[in-house]
Amino acid sequence: MTILNRILNVPSSDPDDARRRRLLNILLIGVALISVLGLIALSLVALIQGADQTISMALRGAIFALLGTLGIFAINHTWSGQVASLLFVLLLTTVFTLSDEPRQVVDGRSVFLFTIPILMASVLLRSWASFLAAGLAGIVISLLALTIPGYIPPLPTIFGFFAFALVSWLSARSLESALEETRRINRELDQRVELRTRELRDANQQLAQANERLRELDRLKSRFISMVSHELRTPLSAIQGFSEMLLAGVYGPLAERQRTALGRITDNTQQLLHLVSDLLDRARIEAGQLTLHNAPFSPAGLVEDIRSTLDVLARSKGLMLTTEIAPDLPDELYGDEGRLRQIMVNLVNNAIKFTEVGDVRVRLYRPNHGAGTDEALWAISVSDTGPGIAEGDRTRIFDPFRRVDDSATREHLGVGLGLSIVKELTELMGGEIQLTSMLGEGSTFVVTLPLHDIEEVSA
Amino acid sequence: MSKPYGLVIEDNPDLATIFCEALQAAEFETRIIDDGQEALEYLATARPDLIVLDLHLPHTSGDTILREIRSNERLAGIRVVIATADPQMAESLDKDSDLVLLKPVSFNQLRDLAARLAPRSKE
Repeated sequence: MTILNRILNVPSSDPDDARRRRLLNILLIGVALISVLGLIALSLVALIQGADQTISMALRGAIFALLGTLGIFAINHTWSGQVASLLFVLLLTTVFTLSDEPRQVVDGRSVFLFTIPILMASVLLRSWASFLAAGLAGIVISLLALTIPGYIPPLPTIFGFFAFALVSWLSARSLESALEETRRINRELDQRVELRTRELRDANQQLAQANERLRELDRLKSRFISMVSHELRTPLSAIQGFSEMLLAGVYGPLAERQRTALGRITDNTQQLLHLVSDLLDRARIEAGQLTLHNAPFSPAGLVEDIRSTLDVLARSKGLMLTTEIAPDLPDELYGDEGRLRQIMVNLVNNAIKFTEVGDVRVRLYRPNHGAGTDEALWAISVSDTGPGIAEGDRTRIFDPFRRVDDSATREHLGVGLGLSIVKELTELMGGEIQLTSMLGEGSTFVVTLPLHDIEEVSA
Repeated sequence: MSKPYGLVIEDNPDLATIFCEALQAAEFETRIIDDGQEALEYLATARPDLIVLDLHLPHTSGDTILREIRSNERLAGIRVVIATADPQMAESLDKDSDLVLLKPVSFNQLRDLAARLAPRSKE
């Protein structure tokens, strides 16, 4: 197929020229094949019957046609399609002129052969070239007629040539305009595709830039929060430290009212410090800088730690803080104890903050233990007897910085960043947090975490 | 019996005061140095029992000082308490120090810790 294409196709910048040259090649090959077949047939006849004058003329014509085709083929490939086509039309005309007795050519059986070069001229050269070919054929048969005694140029035949040329011209022209129309449509389509591609590319680029800007903004935000938190901590540390020193009597004894006021200062400073720590944690989580430090730890120690830290706060509100560890929980767990403490302190702190009457229960246990689940889990649940959380707020309370003007959440404003950090830390540990709540009866937060086998992780 | 000696390397005067007071409350003699380079020069001759070390210091950073203390034979055995506001730094220096305290360092906390780290309580 590629060899055939290489023989037929002539590369050209003009698609019309390429088309015509390809067509000419096809015709040339056809003529060459016919010539070869004719040569073979004529040779056989000559061998059997002996060569009379007609046969030797035909043989000469066939050889002339074969050589002519080869020459034109070479010109078509290497030089000019137009010259080759012109020569082809001339060749056809010549061959047809000489192919029969002059009488037959002028007004006999061979006269119709001239329609072939006329048609070819309009297809291979220009559409109007059929008239030239018709003129040529007219001149040829006129000259031929003059060589025959008693003949005059056959005007009706010549007129017929021109009529045929007209038909050829019209057909070729409509063919060409149809081709041109197709090409125009293709060009338009190409342009449209290119335009759309460019628009898409531009849009993509803009999107990528916008994305990069957003990422940069996020980085800046994280760095800003981290820097501000850092800068806030130093003066807060000083306030905290001096308050503690005053309370500890380093600067002399205090009156009861002074002690109470100082207590308020330290409480508020603690709150502010917590908020700054949360902000810093959040910035680190967002920047992907928060890494867990997993190690074996004792759940009993952790729970005891929480109880001793927050019992005072609970009792100051008249609440009971109870802790419980299910007996099937291993004596040692594996995880980041510091971050687990942070999660529990946040949850218990919240529970105490929003509960006026009743108790806050902390429980460590294995959910679905023995129920045949594949995953080994352990859970921390923190329940309170507070007002409960409305259904619409249950997912929102895990968002950082909930809207201040939202009246439904206003009463929970004090939660701040705590729950959002609890959620993010839990997820960082591969766990999840769930909230169940009944309005007026209380809320329960359950943090479920994967239970790592100590032997496995320390191996 | 002389008192144990605690060195506070901290450039914020307020925090330095709090650290000093905490150490004094734990029966330490104290001294404050507010510059990293100065602290290094001082440690070339002196040998405190305990150092409270800030990490962000002018001229020479706290972790350089910590490395010097840990690589110097003569300073071996000094208790180093790092006080930093940077949790990542705290994590990275955890193994080279006796204790890392994340700022805000509580007066009471440091006082109790210093009392425990005091050399005589060990002996």
